[in-house]
Amino acid sequence: MSNRFSDCAVVVAAVVAVVWLTSPPAAGQAPPAPAAGCPGESAQFHPCALAKAKTFGPPRTPDDEPDMQGFWRGPGLSATENIEEHPSTPDGDDIGGASLIANTPDGKVPYQPWAVAQRRENRERYIEPNILCFLSGVPRTMYMPTVIQILQPPGYVVALLEGGHRYRIIPTDGRVHLGESLKLWNGDSRGRWEGNTLVVDVTNQNARPWFDQAANFYTDTAHMVERFTLIDPDTIHYEVAIEDPNVYTRPWKITFPLRRVTEKGYEFIEDACHEGERDGPMLRSLGYKPYPGVRPGSPR
Amino acid sequence: MRKSLSTAMLVAAGAVVGFSLAATRTPSQAQASRISRASDGHPNLSGIWQAMNSAHWDLEDHAARQGPLIALGGAYSVPQGVGVVDGGTIPYRPEALAKKKENYARSVALLTRAAKEETGPRIAMEDYHVFDPEIPCYLPGVPRATYMPYPFQIVQSPETVLISYEYDNASRIVRMNSKEEAPTDSWMGWSRGRWEGETLVIDVTALREETWFDRAGNFHSDALHVVERYTPIDNDHLNYEATIEDPRVFTRPWKISMPLYRRVESLAQLGEYLCVEFASELLYAQYSKQEGK
Repeated sequence: MSNRFSDCAVVVAAVVAVVWLTSPPAAGQAPPAPAAGCPGESAQFHPCALAKAKTFGPPRTPDDEPDMQGFWRGPGLSATENIEEHPSTPDGDDIGGASLIANTPDGKVPYQPWAVAQRRENRERYIEPNILCFLSGVPRTMYMPTVIQILQPPGYVVALLEGGHRYRIIPTDGRVHLGESLKLWNGDSRGRWEGNTLVVDVTNQNARPWFDQAANFYTDTAHMVERFTLIDPDTIHYEVAIEDPNVYTRPWKITFPLRRVTEKGYEFIEDACHEGERDGPMLRSLGYKPYPGVRPGSPR
Repeated sequence: MRKSLSTAMLVAAGAVVGFSLAATRTPSQAQASRISRASDGHPNLSGIWQAMNSAHWDLEDHAARQGPLIALGGAYSVPQGVGVVDGGTIPYRPEALAKKKENYARSVALLTRAAKEETGPRIAMEDYHVFDPEIPCYLPGVPRATYMPYPFQIVQSPETVLISYEYDNASRIVRMNSKEEAPTDSWMGWSRGRWEGETLVIDVTALREETWFDRAGNFHSDALHVVERYTPIDNDHLNYEATIEDPRVFTRPWKISMPLYRRVESLAQLGEYLCVEFASELLYAQYSKQEGK
């Protein structure tokens, strides 16, 4: 039985099988919209965007960095449901969508066999960590269905999320990572500029977050490398390379466009999450437990 | 390549470039560290700051005393602290003073009862409101977020000042020179800022009533209005003042003040104090399906 709740859960009727009280979904899922003249679907967006990056000269900040400041939207609700291709569901719980994975033949996470079984066990035993308003981790923070604000003060790139008042403060001053025994929800981020690309190296993962509501997961040996590149004035090519030799058969990448929010005067309102969270008691009473992270090997 | 904005500013103004923003300090710099400047000439308050006092326990004068949980003994009892309130005492209306005392007593009683229960802590959700909201890890509000014993980071630009707190991943955006009113109440309030000389003044309205000022039960209503003032003393110290106004609870406005200290380690960064995960068992364990039943 899967958990069928979205992030920053709202109060719903207290019935055992909770459903979203939304209008029925459109039959099938719409493909992602094109971005910057590239197809929106990840495996096609990725090479097209990389080609565009070669010829686009971005505006620059006073510190001579490509200027990515402003408000941005990612791929929307379907990404946080499941980073693999997935259908909409008749009860409206999932809106469905295409895979975010850029470089596996079937657009699926290249799990080792034990990990496929572990993912199933995750769904059956554990509460989706975002429901309890835990941090979404990296990379999930970057495709949460909310607006991201990027700031570039000297020595840092800051990403703020409206949803859940999240922030990532990424130093770009060349400092080394924290000691490896410090495991963090969002990992430890270190940024540097390579040409027009912001490269962020993320280590020190505590691996308590999931990639999505479908329980796609990693372990604390995961290493992520993000790359942010403007490919036109209103589009960032976002890519994250994911490596965890204990879990996957090979490294793999998620990619999607971040699209500039063009509404004038857009600003954040507080979204408190935990203070309004009321699904915890119900999920606990059904026998679900908080996700503790997993060690590689057989499911427990 | 990292450039120093303030260095560029000084060169542009024709001044002699004389100092660096490096966090390692030499004895000659320590004496009178010049306040760094933003590109618009105002003091640059960007950096990581932290209060160093026991205001988070109690804003008023307090001798050391037993903490809220006897079971934790000397490890988690309350240290002595000189109050940060101008004039010493918070000017409560008489009925509000009774409620303040009740706040603390009820919170302690509930925690003590919970600690004794054999099956683990059981606090019913309808009882949350009697707690210090720090216990279920609700957002701390303003000014409490400033003097929680965790660092926070100021990211300053001319249009907005971001203040991100290690505690509870709290964060607020200060809208500079804005007349916009809050669309709704919130835990961290609606912040509008302006410069008055060397002081960053932040006007905070639309604060939810549920937050407390400290662990001693000092509280307010949703009529709370806070005006903060951040004034550099030197490059590594700010003077922080907050004027508190709430005619439903207090007989007059009152003020707290304290220094804020820059975290000068060259590799200072905010940590994660997720907090919410540490409140999970307290809030939800009682609902867990019993194994084997």
